[in-house]
Amino acid sequence: MSEPTVNLRNPSLAALLAWAVPGLGHFYQGRTGKGILYAVCILGLYTIGMVMGEGKIVYWRWVNPLSNPEKFCLYYLGQFFVGLASLPALIQGTLHYFGFQPILGGILAEPSQNVLNALNSRLNKLVEIGSIYTCIAGLLNILAIYDAYEGPAYLEVEEPVAERPVEPAVPSGGIPAEGSA
Amino acid sequence: MTLSPVQIYWLTIPLVVAISLVYSASRHESWRRIWGHSFRLCLWIMGILIGATAVLLVINTQV
Repeated sequence: MSEPTVNLRNPSLAALLAWAVPGLGHFYQGRTGKGILYAVCILGLYTIGMVMGEGKIVYWRWVNPLSNPEKFCLYYLGQFFVGLASLPALIQGTLHYFGFQPILGGILAEPSQNVLNALNSRLNKLVEIGSIYTCIAGLLNILAIYDAYEGPAYLEVEEPVAERPVEPAVPSGGIPAEGSA
Repeated sequence: MTLSPVQIYWLTIPLVVAISLVYSASRHESWRRIWGHSFRLCLWIMGILIGATAVLLVINTQV
């Protein structure tokens, strides 16, 4: 029996699409159900997290994590893998580092320290939980990207139809075995 | 928006459900196995979280 296969089409392109928009790589491969599942779960978590943090918890700043660990945006390492939804933060952080003004109306630009302080005092734990939600959304998308590139870890062979034990073609009356007469 | 400490615990449920669904989907291609695996994984994670919370609560009440 031949093992079932998943048509991954162009795995590299599928992985890139899966990074850009969670689920898009699977849509490209024709795995629509999985694409919907990944999109709903990952983008759902990301959106809920962003709502909790009022859209101010995804940002990036270029600092050395060894010399300035308090300013280092650790959560963004996970958030980055949500793809295009979090990419503006990297662009804004890079522009800020080189002394340029934020673009796109300042979307996902680093908020000022006053804004962050006010957010933390007003929302308390929600800021942290929202950051965790968005970070885990990105980390989960790594699994989705890998699935788009490599396929699922286990490809189940279809279970064979239950085979009945071979019964001898003997009428109900039975034929006496040799020597039993 | 503010939530009481008890309400905050409810926020773990969507997180656990999403984690178990995505993890299971990355392991299997058959929907039957995805649902089954994610359900079991969800129960495991919730069980461990509830157990750990109970242990910490007991320790806290003894201190």
